[in-house]
Amino acid sequence: MSRDWSGELVSCIRGADRVAANALLDDWAKTRSYEEAVTDLLTPALEYFGNLWADKSGETSLAQGYVAAKVAEDLLGRVLAAQEAEGRKIETKHGPVVVGNVEDDYHPLGRKMLVAFLRSAGWEVHDLGVDVPPDVFLDKVQEVDARVVGASAMMFSTAKNVIGIRQEIDRRGLTGRVQLAVGGAVFKLRPELVQEFGGDGTAPTALHAPDLFERLWQRSLSLDPVVK
Amino acid sequence: MKSLERVFATVGGQPKDRPAFVMNLSLYGSKLAGVPLQTYYTEPGAYAEGQIAVREVFGPDLLLSPFLVPAIGEAFGSEVTAYKHQVPNIRRFAAVSASEALKLPLPDVDSQPRLVFLRETIRILSARYLGEVPVVGVLVSPIDIPPLVIGIEAWLEALLSEPDTARALMDRWTPFCVNLANAMLGDGATLIAATANFANPTIVPPRVIQGIARPVLEAAFGAIKGPIILHHGGALLAPYLESYLGLPNVAAYFVDARDSLVEARKTLGEAPVLIGNLHAPSLESETPESVRSQCETILADRAADARFLFGTSAADVPLATPPEVIQAIVDTICHAGIGAS
Repeated sequence: MSRDWSGELVSCIRGADRVAANALLDDWAKTRSYEEAVTDLLTPALEYFGNLWADKSGETSLAQGYVAAKVAEDLLGRVLAAQEAEGRKIETKHGPVVVGNVEDDYHPLGRKMLVAFLRSAGWEVHDLGVDVPPDVFLDKVQEVDARVVGASAMMFSTAKNVIGIRQEIDRRGLTGRVQLAVGGAVFKLRPELVQEFGGDGTAPTALHAPDLFERLWQRSLSLDPVVK
Repeated sequence: MKSLERVFATVGGQPKDRPAFVMNLSLYGSKLAGVPLQTYYTEPGAYAEGQIAVREVFGPDLLLSPFLVPAIGEAFGSEVTAYKHQVPNIRRFAAVSASEALKLPLPDVDSQPRLVFLRETIRILSARYLGEVPVVGVLVSPIDIPPLVIGIEAWLEALLSEPDTARALMDRWTPFCVNLANAMLGDGATLIAATANFANPTIVPPRVIQGIARPVLEAAFGAIKGPIILHHGGALLAPYLESYLGLPNVAAYFVDARDSLVEARKTLGEAPVLIGNLHAPSLESETPESVRSQCETILADRAADARFLFGTSAADVPLATPPEVIQAIVDTICHAGIGAS
């Protein structure tokens, strides 16, 4: 009977056991590549947890999300190391996009999970860190020609600062071309705030962010197809 | 009935003239007193002035010491940013890991300026309202201190991957937390409110709860010489209350606004006080009519619950909340005419 690698990875993440997950991926890579592990093991596992976390009746924890993100990050590190060792050019499939915590927000965990899941899905991500003023978001957006900017906020009081990013997008004449994704605990609790604060979309969990960013990217292309 | 009597009647499941209520108007007091936040969160007299205004305007049955948990992080060396319109927040942690945090000196609860600020507010308020209004000392349990000192990520990493280090940190910090809680009780606090998020199954896996968090809570709560309100801390609590049952000195459970009060009571049984259930941060976008309706629903749901105490959950009532909205809540409770049986 063949080994159920994918099921084992799910079990490791369910148990919030990063060490066991990485050991499993290393075992896998003895006969196959880390790149294959992304498509054959990690992606199905993340899809599984994405569905579980979206289902509010599912028993899930922050620790599981954290470990899932760390496992994705760890695996990507191994993929990149393998590609560099083979002299291959590291390519991303999507993006670029810009993400950061809104001004005055110092809660990085959700954003770091977002970055891990976006990168594992092949996105080129420019991560600006915590406490990012609107003009810094937009300067980077224009520098790298990003079509999606992701703003993370944990609390209601700081989530209001998404409005400043919206205004800066509009002030620079980038309405439509630059789509504003928002996320964080407060938007899960009060989804009406997405629209109220000027966001173009949100996702129920960081795991669902790649789908959201893809939707927003396509919307940007439909509204402003010009390639700069 | 005085507020103190009303609260004690709730604890004892005794008749009272109306339901007791608590609202997180810690921040809002600054607005009522017209005190800038920078002053409000540094000068005990200014904070007390705000809470006295809260009591005079809205008459809650419990008053709170500053709902300012970042101050505990500050006491360990974390850096905080002050704002004009919101509660201060931590912008830089005192240490980067649990192992590094083990080397930090423990703050002295009698002399560390931020802890003295918290304690002095209790002394002023409890002296002012002695025998009339209970004052709640707002804290976090030991298991929730590290996020204020090393951040959530580093604490999760320690709990998940370095359990021995996490345990060592708790061994070191639990006595500090107990000392601070007991000092607050000595200052006049009637109860201690504490979160225990890192003992919640929505945050950490069962092995962390059973192996670290639960033993820490048992040790800490057992050594605190007064009643404790276990606060949900922003996480769902009702489905997981069994994880917390049996903890020493816990007299009340403050659940999340998303929690079912029915489910919570069913799990808790009759004895402990159940507190809930309006979401405070949402109040700024409510109207007097909408909150009145919500309050009526909650009060009707808990009409036969002798140990129910009405409360606003989660963080502070925002400064932008119209006073009419708060007053509508107060009026609805005061005119409820229930809970008197």
